[in-house]
Amino acid sequence: MQNELLTELGKSLVTGNLTDPTLLALTASTEGVRILPNANVIKVGGQSLIDRGREAVFPIIEEIEENLGRHKMIIGTGAGTRARHAYSVGIDLGVPTGVLSVLGTFVSMQNARMLHYLLAKHGIPFIEPEQFPQLPLYLEERGAVIFFGMPPYTFWQRNPDVGRIPPHRTDTGVFLVSEVFGARSMIYVKDEDGLYTADPKKDKRAKFIPKITVGELREMDLQDVVVERAVLDLMERAEWRRSIQVINGLVRGNLTRALDGEHVGTVITAD
Amino acid sequence: MRESLLDKEVMASTESSVVRMLPNAHVVKVGGRSIMDAGREVTYPVVDALRVLLETERLIIGVGGGVRSRHVFSIGLDLGLPTGVLAQLSMADALGNAHLLGALLAPHGVVAIPPEIFGHLLPLFIHSAPGVIFNGVPPYSLWEHPPGIGRIPPHRTDAGCFILAECFGCKTITLVKDVDGLYTEDPKENPGASLIEAIGARELQRRGLPSLPFDEVLLDLLVNARLVRQFQIVNGRKPECIAAAVRGEHVGTIVHAD
Repeated sequence: MQNELLTELGKSLVTGNLTDPTLLALTASTEGVRILPNANVIKVGGQSLIDRGREAVFPIIEEIEENLGRHKMIIGTGAGTRARHAYSVGIDLGVPTGVLSVLGTFVSMQNARMLHYLLAKHGIPFIEPEQFPQLPLYLEERGAVIFFGMPPYTFWQRNPDVGRIPPHRTDTGVFLVSEVFGARSMIYVKDEDGLYTADPKKDKRAKFIPKITVGELREMDLQDVVVERAVLDLMERAEWRRSIQVINGLVRGNLTRALDGEHVGTVITAD
Repeated sequence: MRESLLDKEVMASTESSVVRMLPNAHVVKVGGRSIMDAGREVTYPVVDALRVLLETERLIIGVGGGVRSRHVFSIGLDLGLPTGVLAQLSMADALGNAHLLGALLAPHGVVAIPPEIFGHLLPLFIHSAPGVIFNGVPPYSLWEHPPGIGRIPPHRTDAGCFILAECFGCKTITLVKDVDGLYTEDPKENPGASLIEAIGARELQRRGLPSLPFDEVLLDLLVNARLVRQFQIVNGRKPECIAAAVRGEHVGTIVHAD
């Protein structure tokens, strides 16, 4: 490779060590490009929404339909109850985290397929990770795409610090899609108004938190949080996706308001 | 079933023993820049060492992307592309190297498996062939994590090989590089640097060395590993070290989880 063909950064990268913090800092010196700055990434919860069936899902589908043409939507799906079942059987059988990750992928894929058929009449496609190169076309032409929220790590899912459940599940997968595309927003559609000081399903005294930073959240050291903890860690390191909103999808209109940029649930920010 | 998977107690309750899917297989990661890019002079002796080893051991051989990955990173960075795109691009370079090394190892029955089916068909191939070869890149692609500093994908080929070894419960993992192991400083820049023969991952994190001869994320992965509790870095320019390391001898630097 001719050295004159290489930029200064190129020379440093080819000869340097990728664990050297000085070199790594240089790699952030150019201004980043937002690939899909007008797209919104929406996650439809598995256990929280889809597992509730028609009663919860149909109103969300209607809201998505109403927003076609108003907002571009990249819609990821959660896994939910069947993933929990598969994880519990898998853990009992002693299979590693990577295999559990494969199982979780299958469940979020089932959920994506179901949402896809409900939106198929609008020409909205369901895409697997291999089809992501077509995503910009579909988004431009149809205004929305559906994908499964699980990141495609499969056997390469990292072990969690504690236990065996894959730490990077559907909340993380959709977050990373929003980050890599430099998308406009990241909206988690769940069945609670947002983040509480405790699980409001178990503790009626739990207090709602409308807005919080990752740092404050970490200090509170809650027993339970409304999004995967990995999302919080990744948000602090993210280039674009420095905030997320968690909304209650059981309340009609919340998704539209969140897409319009309103604060209707809990906003968690990195800064 | 309605328990929150985010509840700390629920998470802790899922800790139990894990089966080893491929307990007799060894993972050997062959460096891209350190071995392949050095050409015939360095690669052929490594191929020969692997050939002899394949007579008795089952090998899963992973390969790095080397200089071409560094080059595509530099162009992508200059264009302002994000980490996930760089990770997606780098798969091709390591895959090219896997096919280069695969061609040299083909006479010895080593199969190059496409990444899309690699994980699922690995048990079949490792029982039917003496060895398999793949691009060590984990399938993180667009879903690569933004790193703490800069934009280089943190899960590169060392990490891909390590996570694979851990998931399949392999017997050993050896990283074949062009240095004798881990030094207090980069030995290519400072000849006075001293070799660290063995060290724990946490201790290594505490020491905060200026650079490491492997993906830094390996230290976090090792701490959380259940089945693979150490890896060894050996010098591929001393090819006899590869077989020795796979057989469990201490010939380079061993980094352990404890």
